[in-house]
Amino acid sequence: MARIETAFIEDMKPFGEDVAAACFNCGTCAAICPLVSDHFPRKIIRYVQIGAKDRILEHSRDLWQCLHCGLCTQTCPRGANPGEIILSLKRYVVANWRRS
Amino acid sequence: MYNPKDIIDVIGANVRMTRNPFGIPKFLVNSWHQDLHPPQKGEAMLFTGLMYQFVPYIETSTDYLARFEDSDWSQYLRYARYMPGYLSGLGLALLTPGSQKRKYNAILQNIVRILAASRVSFFYRPELDDYSGVLLYDLGDQDAFVQHARYVAAKLKKAGIRKLITVDPHTTYALKVLFPKYVEAEFDVTPYVELINLHSHNGTRRVTLHDPCFYGRYLAVSDTPRRVLSNMGIDCVNVRNSGSFTSCCGGPAESISPKLSDQIVRKRIDELKSTGEPIVAMCPICLGNLRKAGANVEDLANVIAAGING
Ligand code: SF4
Ligand code: SF4
Repeated sequence: MARIETAFIEDMKPFGEDVAAACFNCGTCAAICPLVSDHFPRKIIRYVQIGAKDRILEHSRDLWQCLHCGLCTQTCPRGANPGEIILSLKRYVVANWRRS
Repeated sequence: MYNPKDIIDVIGANVRMTRNPFGIPKFLVNSWHQDLHPPQKGEAMLFTGLMYQFVPYIETSTDYLARFEDSDWSQYLRYARYMPGYLSGLGLALLTPGSQKRKYNAILQNIVRILAASRVSFFYRPELDDYSGVLLYDLGDQDAFVQHARYVAAKLKKAGIRKLITVDPHTTYALKVLFPKYVEAEFDVTPYVELINLHSHNGTRRVTLHDPCFYGRYLAVSDTPRRVLSNMGIDCVNVRNSGSFTSCCGGPAESISPKLSDQIVRKRIDELKSTGEPIVAMCPICLGNLRKAGANVEDLANVIAAGING
């Protein structure tokens, strides 16, 4: 079971996009993403929504597969900006490495 | 796939030490202007951001990274305090063929010819032309990006530079969007494509353009190259994924996973080839990546310059 960290969305705020709440989990981003990989980035956005910080850190390597191409952001029907959320998570993980 | 932390650490250390991601002294990287003597005075400064110059080095280092990806050797990258020669520094410079460097230098030389023929008032000062730091940003190393961007912006400001002409989408995005947002540095930034004012009625060619993500989506300037080509008598035959819906060439993944990058570029090449027309790119990363995977691709500047000469 993933541990839910309610403070995670707050923790993320200094690192960028905080519109994950807008996502309604439709999967358009995962369908259009050139990576075609295991529901990426939809799954990660879901983890952000529910504050599953452990899961994100567990899958942190996957974040760097993202090309920052912006196609998911362009097509997201909810303006959840998935591409920028992935970039914000990269920043969050790098900052964690630096701290540890 | 390499451990992103190892790659980020190597690139960050290189930028700190040499102000570029490959740790190669700038005079070795930036030699394209030496025989050409571009103007030293003018209204706007040509700012290459060194991206075209980096492509031959990216090709060499990616080639080595691809050989060791997912092998036991990939783990050694983390111990690369003294970076492996194929990844950075003089070792990488020596391993990179001169013919490749000349090929990419020629693109910048053609851009100068195009600007001159379009009667644009511009100048070039190599000492102020630096790498923008955009890769640090894309990799999420925000502190390193901000630190480097401050250095670049401060140099330009101190020299009294306000107007910049850029040559690639990544540097354009960094200067136009990221510098104002993260280091409060505002410049008047125009990609050279927007300044081309050339007409030719000789051409009857058709080409297929590969729109880079940063021009197609982030900066929304896909119409400009099509207009420029049309003025030169060259029609664009679009693939389905073009303009703001362009498909990424996979280039940004090449340092972390050459394998993944290769899978993505092959799909894109198949799509671009489907029109049967010659492929044209306008981003050094796309150009290098598409060529590496075997596609016959020309840079937009070379196509336009051939139109002036012809
Ligand atoms: S981020 Fe957007 S496209 Fe992706 S699942 Fe959520 S709503 Fe759908
Ligand atoms: S920005 Fe990243 S997650 Fe979004 S479509 Fe491109 S590669 Fe996929």
